[in-house]
Amino acid sequence: MRRQISIIVVVLMVLMLGVIATGLSFGHPPDHPMDRYVIMNSQLESGANNVVAAVLFDYRGLDTLGEAVVLFTAALGTMLMFRKREEE
Amino acid sequence: MIEQIPYIAIVLLAGIGIATILLKKNVIKMIMGLAIIEGSVNLFLVTLGYREGGIAPIFTDAPAGVMVLPTVQAMTVTNIVIGFATTALLLAFAMILYRYYGSVETNHIRRLRE
Repeated sequence: MRRQISIIVVVLMVLMLGVIATGLSFGHPPDHPMDRYVIMNSQLESGANNVVAAVLFDYRGLDTLGEAVVLFTAALGTMLMFRKREEE
Repeated sequence: MIEQIPYIAIVLLAGIGIATILLKKNVIKMIMGLAIIEGSVNLFLVTLGYREGGIAPIFTDAPAGVMVLPTVQAMTVTNIVIGFATTALLLAFAMILYRYYGSVETNHIRRLRE
């Protein structure tokens, strides 16, 4: 019973995502002002030749700080899992 | 329809991941399904920013021409790192489960520990 419900859920989800996917256009993204601005000005403003690195560390540096917090929390949790216990 | 083949492949990959999470009973295999879904999300982001005939957004010795969108690629880098960290945390949880119950099958760990 649970298996049939799971299969139905999977099929419905794939159909839903597939309907969304057939409406997207591949290779022709809409001209976004943010991306155009970043490509035009990243060399001048941040001095980085790599535009992805400029976005990651200059334009969205606060976002990368949050990512570092998530990474730190996950590493802390993993470390707590591996600690020695007194009982057992 | 023919130009959406990359998106349809990504949807099928995500479907494989969802089916793995819902149908498998082994916790390690469910974590593998989650990793597959993460991979499909990364592929979707990169595919969304692809521009036809575009080059990588690096200005060093770059030939003339349009560049693919850089912001979604930055998001993909963030997603890869966070996915790695959460997968490590989930595998540590699976290790604790195995230490307590002697099994990682969800049939066996559903009962409460005496």
